[in-house]
Formats: sequence, C-alpha cells, structure tokens
Amino acid sequence: MTDSAPRAQSSRLAYVWPLRLRLADSMAGRVAAAAALSVVASALLVALSGHNPFAAFAAMLKGALGSPHQVGFALNRATPYLLAGSGVALCFRAGVINIGAEGQIALGGVGAAALALHFPASLSVLAAVAALAGGALFGALWAALATAIHLGRRVHEVLTTLLLNFVALLLVQQTLAGPLGQFGAGFLQSPELPRAAWLWKVPEFGAHAGFPIALVAAATLSLTVWRTPFGFSLRVAGSSRRAAAYAGFSAPAITWSVMLIAGALAGLAGAVEVLGVQHRLIEGFSLGFGFKAVTVALLGALEPLAVVPAALFVGMLEAGAQSMQRQIGVPSALVIVIEGITMLFVLAATVRRA
Amino acid sequence: MIDFLAAAIRIATPLLLAALGGILSERAGVFAVGLEGMMLMGAFASIVGAWAAHSALAGVLLALVGGATIGVVVAIVTVRFRADNMVTGLTANILAAGLTSYLLRALAGGGRPLAIHLTPLPPWPIPKLDQIPVVGPLLFSLPPLTYLAIVGCVGLEAFLLRTRAGLTLRATGENPEAVFASGAEPMRVRVLAVVACGAVAGLGGAVLSLQQVGTFTDGMTGGRGYLALASLIVARWNPIGAALACLAFGAAEAFELRLQGFGVPVSSYIVQMAPYVVALAVLAGLGRSSRMPASIGQPLQWD
Repeated sequence: MTDSAPRAQSSRLAYVWPLRLRLADSMAGRVAAAAALSVVASALLVALSGHNPFAAFAAMLKGALGSPHQVGFALNRATPYLLAGSGVALCFRAGVINIGAEGQIALGGVGAAALALHFPASLSVLAAVAALAGGALFGALWAALATAIHLGRRVHEVLTTLLLNFVALLLVQQTLAGPLGQFGAGFLQSPELPRAAWLWKVPEFGAHAGFPIALVAAATLSLTVWRTPFGFSLRVAGSSRRAAAYAGFSAPAITWSVMLIAGALAGLAGAVEVLGVQHRLIEGFSLGFGFKAVTVALLGALEPLAVVPAALFVGMLEAGAQSMQRQIGVPSALVIVIEGITMLFVLAATVRRA
Repeated sequence: MIDFLAAAIRIATPLLLAALGGILSERAGVFAVGLEGMMLMGAFASIVGAWAAHSALAGVLLALVGGATIGVVVAIVTVRFRADNMVTGLTANILAAGLTSYLLRALAGGGRPLAIHLTPLPPWPIPKLDQIPVVGPLLFSLPPLTYLAIVGCVGLEAFLLRTRAGLTLRATGENPEAVFASGAEPMRVRVLAVVACGAVAGLGGAVLSLQQVGTFTDGMTGGRGYLALASLIVARWNPIGAALACLAFGAAEAFELRLQGFGVPVSSYIVQMAPYVVALAVLAGLGRSSRMPASIGQPLQWD
C-alpha cells in the first residue's frame, strides 16, 4: 500500500514520540470553546424542563466518578467508542466518510460470539484472543463489502456504509434467531459464552481489558498518521485528492486500507463489548455505538490521540446520565442532545481545510 | 391487488415528501443526509402540536416548523461555517433523535415518555372521482397529506424546470460563481433551500406520526430518511422520478408484509433487509451513470 511513498521517511520511525499533540493552539481553543458552549446550551435545556442544571451536572459527575465501580463502568462504556472512533477518525483523515461503524461493530459482536461458542475447549487459553480476532475479522469483512461497492460501482461511501448498517443489524437478529440463538430465552440472545473467552477484569473497578487495548490502538494509529509513509499518503489524500494523485498515491489503495483498518477496529469494539460486558450476544447490544464513534472521530480527525479524551467524555456522560435520571428525574436522553450539540459546535468551530 | 398498491402508496408517501425536500437541498448544492432528523423532528412536533392545540392543522404547521428547525441548524453549520455536509447531516440526525426523546420525557415531567394517542387522519374521498373502479379507491380516497405529497411532487417539478427561482436554485448547485455573477446570492439560496428541505421533510415525518399512527415513539422514522435519500439519488434528483422510486420501495415493503401475512417460510429478518438491499443494488446498478449536481458538497467561497 505504501510502496509509492518516499522510503527515506521510514528511518524516522526510530525517533518516535507518539504523545506529541499537534493541535494548533487556536484549534484546541476552538474545541474548548465549542465544548463550553454545548454545556451552556444543555444547561438551558435542563432549566427549561424545570430542573436545576447545577444539581443535574453534579449528579452526573457523581454518577460517573463517584465510586471505583462507576469509574470502571464509565471506562467500559468509553472502550468501544475509543476503538471504533479511532478507525473512523483514520478514515476521516483520509477524506473517506465512513459511517458504517454501527454495522461493523454489530457484526464484530457476532464474530466474537461465534468463535467463543465454537472454540475447542482444549485450547481454552486462546479462546479470548481467538474471539477478539474473530470480531475484528467480521468487522473488516463488512467494511470490505461497503468499500467494494463504493469503489467498484462509484456509489458514495456514505450511502454504502449507511445502508449496510441496517442490513447488518438485521443480520445479527437473523443469526440470533438461527445458529447462535438460545431457544426459549424469550428474546433474541445467544447462550452465555464460556468463561474462558471473557475478558479479564480489574477487581473492584470492574473495568475490563478492552480499555488498554483501545489505548494501544489509538496510540498506534497516531503514530501511523504522523510518522509513517502510509500516514503521510493518507494525510495528503485527505487534504487534496488531486495532490495525492500528483504525488503518485493510489486513492483506491488508501481507501481500502483505511476502511479495512476501521472495520477491524469497529469489529474489535463489538467483540470487546460482547466478551467484556455482556458475556453473550444480545439483540441491539451495540445500538448507537457507531454514531458515538463518529462523534468521537470528529475530534480524532484533527488529532488521532484526541479520540481518547473524547471517548472518555462520552463514556462518563453516559455513566453519569443514568444516575442523573434516577436522582433528579432529568431524562437520560439529555446525553444524546449534549453529544449532538457538542458535535455541531465542534463542526462549526473547526472549519475544514479548503 | 388494490390492497397491495394502496399499501405501497401509503408506505411511499412519507418517503416521497422527504425525498422532495432532499431534492431542494441537493439541487442547491447541500447533501441531504439530515433528512432522517428532519423527519423525526417533524413527526414529533406534529403529534405534540396536534395534541396540545387539539387541531390536526396545528400539528401539520408545527411539523413544518420542527423540520425547518433542523434545516436551520444544518444550513448554518454547512453553509455559513462550511462544515462537511455528510457529517453535519448525520449529527443533525443524532441531535433530533436525542431532542425528541428528551422533550417527550421532559413534557411528562420525568423519566417516562409522554403517551399521546390521537386518531390517525382519515381519508378525504373526492366526491364522484372516488367511485371510479380501481383508480378511485387508489388515488381519490387518500388522507390529506398524501394529496399534498402528490401535488408537491408535480409542483416541485414545475418549480425547478419552469420558474426563474427554480433555475437559480439549480444553478447554485451547479455553478455558484455564475449565480453570484448574475446578481443573486448563492449563500442565501442554499440556506433557504436547506430550510425548505427541513420543512418538507418534517411534513414527511407528520405523515408517519399524525396521519398513519396517531402517536410518536422514539426513533419512529427508523431509517426512512436514508431510504428517501437513496431514492432521490436513484431518481437523479427529479421529483417525478423520486415518486416512482419511492413507490418501488413502498411496493418492496408491501410485498414483504404480504409474504409475512401468507406465512411463507422466509425469515422475517431476511425479508426486512429487502428495501436496503434493493436501494444498494439500484445505486450500484446506476453506478457511474448518475451525475450529481456539479458543486454539491462544495463550500461557498466568500471574502
């Protein structure tokens, strides 16, 4: 994929400093301003519904960080968004608008559950690893289907990925009604997965091993974007297709690579949710995850490592929203509004490079 | 057979209204990915409006306002701030999903959604014409918003092809510099087109909630905005063509309901995939031959 990029650059891999933030000061300031504005806007919404916004936010904060268990819950919520969001951010960076994470995550869950359920008991040491790999594979295959239609028939990638999301969700239901389903369960779910395939958890916190995996993935992608010839080629392609063609970078090759990476990461996100949280495949286990990944990726397209704070923000919002609804009676759907408003402000504040 | 066609028309109506809105927006040069959110907001506003004011007309008017609100948001972010059309549209859909769900609960004052149940809008038979066999029950005994969709479809075709304003709108999607040179303001055209798109798509949402079900549930549009988007692309941005494409989707879904009714041993999940798979197949079949408005998705330059 990266043959056409200058080879000399690869030697610089030795001097890597992945944590260096490349956000221009003004850009970071704009994002902060966007976040602050969205907090003000959502406070207004809470006030309009007749509740005290300060009490609501306090309840939210306490719900997200109040106890080790709740911190673990927030981290577990953030994990799939971080994984899938990193991949989507890579696509955005390359100018590929992939919004198929929703379907890729769902199929990743199917892959993980299928492998976990059918893995030979004698090799149970490898069960979790095999199930994670199965999830990544299924996610990548689903992304490959969207990419093949997009590139082969010149259908816009937004349409192929979007329409395949609906098909993927139905496909999950179909597998649960058929081969993977548990009969007599009352609704669509698989039997419980064998314990060997469950992800390891931090005692007391309940945070599973998915979060460190996601951190490694985000750091690796940051490195790839800034420090490799492939990363350079995709940044060029994202800024200007023409410049990329002039430099000899193959646009289809770049699209294929970012889509497959993003699909695998989204599949991994689904696998992590199934193996770490649910311990079985349940209908709708990942509903809305793909769109959260897009939220997170909006920031990640500016700087790959920015997906980490963004995913943590969304994870904590959701963990906190539950207790806010219980304690104060503010509907937890407020979280989706906050996410939407934040995204819009971020979109408006970070005018794209022309 | 008449039942089948009637079902196809019923399913196609909300899609068609949304697609007509989308044509306005995309012909002016802004991708209409936000149709789903506009429909959802319209569906919500129409039910709440009709319930609060005890008037279906108030519901219809509020559907226009609700959809247009999302249109305003999309217009500001894409046209004024030149953000990516696709991602902005998707964001608007998320915002609408959250806002309708939040407001439905906030209106009830707690965690439970407000339960509103209204009688769906009855058909308005046109005297004499509704007595014609076959055509009468199919075309002249429809609920009010369906007539509006048919009239709107023909009206939009005439507006785009036969009026000066329609020409300016189409030119803005093709070559905004030429529009600017001719003395019009491309930015204003795009903003108006996107807001109008929101209002019309909001009406599509009202068809679902106010006309067909009589209640609002979270996410009740269920991807119809995206199907409308696919159908307007299949129809190459033509209103009449969009009507045919929506009818085809409607027929596919009506056929699916039929199959389930007859107890054909096909999994309902597989059958439900039909509209999306058909949409993808048609888009893939069209492939290179579909020509988009030339400057669609391109931000306007100014200063």
